[in-house]
Amino acid sequence: MTPIGSVNPLSTSPLMRLDAASLSPEVAQPAAAGSASAAVPTDAFSAMLDHLVGDVTAKDAAATAATNQVLMGNSGQLHQSVIAMQEAGVAFSLMVQVRNKLVESYQELMRMQV
Amino acid sequence: MNLISGVDVTAGALNAQKLRLDIVAQNIANAETTRTAEGGPYQRQVVSFATELVKQQANNGGIPLQTVKVASITSDPTPGQKVYNPQHPDAGADGMVTMPNVNLAFEMVDLITASRAYEANLSVVKNAKQMAEKALEIGH
Repeated sequence: MTPIGSVNPLSTSPLMRLDAASLSPEVAQPAAAGSASAAVPTDAFSAMLDHLVGDVTAKDAAATAATNQVLMGNSGQLHQSVIAMQEAGVAFSLMVQVRNKLVESYQELMRMQV
Repeated sequence: MNLISGVDVTAGALNAQKLRLDIVAQNIANAETTRTAEGGPYQRQVVSFATELVKQQANNGGIPLQTVKVASITSDPTPGQKVYNPQHPDAGADGMVTMPNVNLAFEMVDLITASRAYEANLSVVKNAKQMAEKALEIGH
């Protein structure tokens, strides 16, 4: 589970997906989430975020586990725990950046004059 | 552990320096110990380091990185100082007691070296994290 590796496909494929989605008329009606045709782009978008959030949650869980081990006295590796926390923090910032970028491109699309 | 690359190497070094500090603590604690399980006075323990290959990762271009690990903890064979103290329970027939070969001055130097090396590795971690944060700032 490499967050960087998992983001690489994200940084390329969303553009292609959004390109394809912008050509389809369903995007103009985002309220029609119940219809089968609109479900495809919604799925891709949520899967993307789900994947990212899952990665960050795993990092956070690893940091919590390491910290618990230190607090319980099972491990004297205080630095491992702090490094794990920092990693979780960086992974979170990365997720926020990707989310900002996704929202930005969505708003850009919504502002587009047809 | 691969979001902040290079930290695996530093974590190994931090572990090694921490173990070195523990050994220094053991040496200082036993500076007056004249009785051990092996018999005779306490022998000063010395740590030696060895490189260790980190598991190769794809995100650093497949370049093998080497971290450090404690290779061995060996006893310093130098004989301990003999002190005349006939009241001591471990004194020989001539009233001489063999003290441990721990030299507090050496141990303090080791202690400071280990602590400075630990700090140096921590600043590597700090800088690696700052680099990652700077990279994330590109989007701003």
